[in-house]
Amino acid sequence: MKLLKKLPRRALLFSCLALVVAGILGAAEKQPQSVQVSIGTILAGNQSDDFDVKLKGMESQLKVLKYRSYRLLKNESQNVPWRGAKVFEIPGDRSLTVTPQEFQDNRISMKVRLTQKQKPVLDTTVKIPNKGNFILGGPPHEGGVLVLSISAAAQ
Amino acid sequence: MNECERIENSIGPWLDHELNAAESEVVGAHVTACSRCSDARQRLEKIDRALSSVLVDEAPKIEFASFWRELKQQIEQKRPWRKRLLEQAGDWASAPRAAWAVPALIAVLIAVLSYQSYFPIWRSRNNFATVESIDSYGRNVALLREDGSKTTVIWLYQNQEGDDEAAEETPPAGPAF
Repeated sequence: MKLLKKLPRRALLFSCLALVVAGILGAAEKQPQSVQVSIGTILAGNQSDDFDVKLKGMESQLKVLKYRSYRLLKNESQNVPWRGAKVFEIPGDRSLTVTPQEFQDNRISMKVRLTQKQKPVLDTTVKIPNKGNFILGGPPHEGGVLVLSISAAAQ
Repeated sequence: MNECERIENSIGPWLDHELNAAESEVVGAHVTACSRCSDARQRLEKIDRALSSVLVDEAPKIEFASFWRELKQQIEQKRPWRKRLLEQAGDWASAPRAAWAVPALIAVLIAVLSYQSYFPIWRSRNNFATVESIDSYGRNVALLREDGSKTTVIWLYQNQEGDDEAAEETPPAGPAF
């Protein structure tokens, strides 16, 4: 009988605890410290049918593009603070500047600027799912084209 | 709760022979040895005797026939299903069951709000990268969103007019998809 009397109090306590945990988890998701940005630089071409085994994880994404061969030239990761910019060197005297803007609804918004020989080639603002990526391609390189896989994960 | 308080709570059921053999033996032994619990037993027995004497004297004078008739009538009377449903709902809404509904509801809400973290496959609706703005400084640019692999592609390619003449390498003549 006493156990039954204590049940509502215990339930109330559990509710408060659950709310606190939910609040902490919610707050934790909204306040990541920085963003781990990774740039995979891939050379796509039609001279051969070679597919780099290191690119196996993104084979389905690369199939979207109509090239026969894909080779990973470089993979670079950097921790970038919010609103801070980091420059990634890209083959062919190019560079990619990534500036994470905000984290909302488990998505990362970031500005991306591609330059070649100090001249801007492309400026874009993209919102990608946390731990997701998008592809930026087209710059010519060594008889093929560069395909950049730009991914970001909130830390 | 100390031993005496526990035993005192059991004296009533013990006197009414509601305890099992083992419990009955424990209570009996304690009551015999403990003066406080023995007093409690005597008090209860006294109340019991007083009540019994009153009931025995007065019971025959009470007219039970009409009471039983009415009770039987109420049992046999069919209640409408709505009333039964309302009573059942009231039962469920009464404490302590209702109290547990609150944390259960919170748990369900947390689960619904955080399901994306546990089941990435359910994220498909929100799984695309979206391009909010784009400036390609006069170059042609194509945008592709592919459903199967959830891929977003931004593709730079050569202008129709061929105004990339200054470039050392020739960009592709069209999108690669």
